[in-house]
Amino acid sequence: MKLSAIRPIALVLSRELMITVLLLLGVSFVVFIILFASPGDPFSVLLEGQLSTAEAKTGVREAMGVPRSWYIQYLTWLAGMLSGNFGTSIRMGLPVLPEVLRVGFSTLILTIGSLMITLLIAVPIALYSAVRGTNKLSWPLTMSSYVISALPVFWFGYIVIYFFTHELGLFPIAFGFSTAGQKYRWLYQLLPIFVLGVGNGTISEVIRFLRQEMGRVMAEDYIRSARAKGASIWKHAFKEGLLIPVTEIIASKIPFILGGAVIVEQVFNWPGMGRMAWQAAQDRDYPVIMGIAILAAVFVRLGSLFQSVVYVAVNPRASKE
Amino acid sequence: MKKYSQISGEISEFSDLPFWKKADVVDLVYVGYGLLIVALVVVSYILGSFNLLPRDPQDIDLHLMMAPPGTAGRLLGTDFMGRDMLSRLIVGIQAYFLPGLLAILIALCFGTGLGVLAGYRGEKFDTGITYFTNLVDSFPRLVLILLVIAAFKPNIYYIMLVVGLTNVPVISSLVKGKIQFLKQKNFIEADIALGLPTRIIIFKHILWHHCRSLLIIQATLGMAEAILMETSLSYLGFGVQEPTPSWGNMVQSGANYFMQGKFWPSTAPALAILFTILGLHLLGDGLNNILEGKRNT
Repeated sequence: MKLSAIRPIALVLSRELMITVLLLLGVSFVVFIILFASPGDPFSVLLEGQLSTAEAKTGVREAMGVPRSWYIQYLTWLAGMLSGNFGTSIRMGLPVLPEVLRVGFSTLILTIGSLMITLLIAVPIALYSAVRGTNKLSWPLTMSSYVISALPVFWFGYIVIYFFTHELGLFPIAFGFSTAGQKYRWLYQLLPIFVLGVGNGTISEVIRFLRQEMGRVMAEDYIRSARAKGASIWKHAFKEGLLIPVTEIIASKIPFILGGAVIVEQVFNWPGMGRMAWQAAQDRDYPVIMGIAILAAVFVRLGSLFQSVVYVAVNPRASKE
Repeated sequence: MKKYSQISGEISEFSDLPFWKKADVVDLVYVGYGLLIVALVVVSYILGSFNLLPRDPQDIDLHLMMAPPGTAGRLLGTDFMGRDMLSRLIVGIQAYFLPGLLAILIALCFGTGLGVLAGYRGEKFDTGITYFTNLVDSFPRLVLILLVIAAFKPNIYYIMLVVGLTNVPVISSLVKGKIQFLKQKNFIEADIALGLPTRIIIFKHILWHHCRSLLIIQATLGMAEAILMETSLSYLGFGVQEPTPSWGNMVQSGANYFMQGKFWPSTAPALAILFTILGLHLLGDGLNNILEGKRNT
């Protein structure tokens, strides 16, 4: 790539990075406020059951140097987080950050995999209906995309498990990852990805958005000129009509898919962030759920960072706006 | 919640034909199905609140467990404890109906408020509001709700407050887009030139005349969102607890019998969720195509 092509990207990247940092600061502040406002701040949860009287608690507070005012608490907490100290899980007794990163990785696989599945289904349908227009197939396709989007993903997960264990007999009935040594273990790991990809409830929206964008580009004058001179329409329409909308939809759907992951991980016993968040909410394990919320927000912001980079790489004019 | 980009076009309300004559048949079918579902849900909600049920939803009948639908006296069969499925499905609506309305109300109020501020007052608030909406959008909704649950152990109304707040960005950006579109058409300038008070411009001319249909559409989609949230949370065990029925916990408890080939106890509520959300989505999209005049199949 030429230097002149990289410059606008670098410009936008630095601007977007700044916005990302600001937003993540905001995220940490919201998380802090929620925990601060909750009955029993993180500190008193730490001391829960250890000290009986209020005086003893304030005594320990002061002895440990825990500041009273909220903004100093926030800043200390933030500084701790920036140096990698997310606190210690109340239930597991382990430091939060390594635990959350470990499960975050497997959720990342689940999320990216299901995004791929969603796109694998949505892009051909959208392309087909954008290029061919309305025909006999479009009504059944639209209708089935509506139905799939309304499908409750937890029930869909059970149906898929039932089908594979009972009808095909590929897995033992026992759920979970006790499938070590099984022949089809890899397939079992693909199932949740497939289920979340199909059942995350965004398919009809993704199809509609892509179709609309592609339809808009196909109606542009430069496509008509390309068609007139016999050039490849695919080549001309690809960037504007497919690449940009797809990255846009990926960035905007990451939060939905992460939310859906909570449920799918529960159905399939997938050892990921969602399951850990569920467990943490069950146990009121503040540090863990806090770390997960922040990590999830980081995923979301990275997704939109990626989107703006692609956008500028395709369309350098955007950096001047 | 869905987001529709405001494509510049003619303001459709200016043509004289009534909307059902301009509309596509498919859209009318969508809206018809959606309205049917809404009517069913509302009637069931009223029946449930006055306890006018075919049977007691808690009545355990161990002689009639897992009855298939169509069994005499139990139209939709029974669950794994012999409780009447139809009654439980009707009572399950109680779990999301009012909380869902609350979520919609919150989203509409704050969404239009912020949208009007950003669109009408322009630059002064726009950056701040964009920051706020991006901030809300950074959290996966379910994770944020789990965080709130861990912190407060709130009941469903507080959870729906959070759901409503997470829907604010979509509505505010739509309202803002609409106002910018009207500004482009010199609509607001004309209003100001007429010397109308800001109150009238905003509430009557902008919100009532131009954002009404948009807000109705967002309300239907918001209800679908709320139902999905409530059922998901009940499924995860944070919402309504057994023995009080919610569609989510009915799926969850019925799923234990899935591997025995007994599908019905969990499939019936799942189908209820499916048909209801489908209806609300179709209603929203059909209305969007009809009222906003944007059919692009």
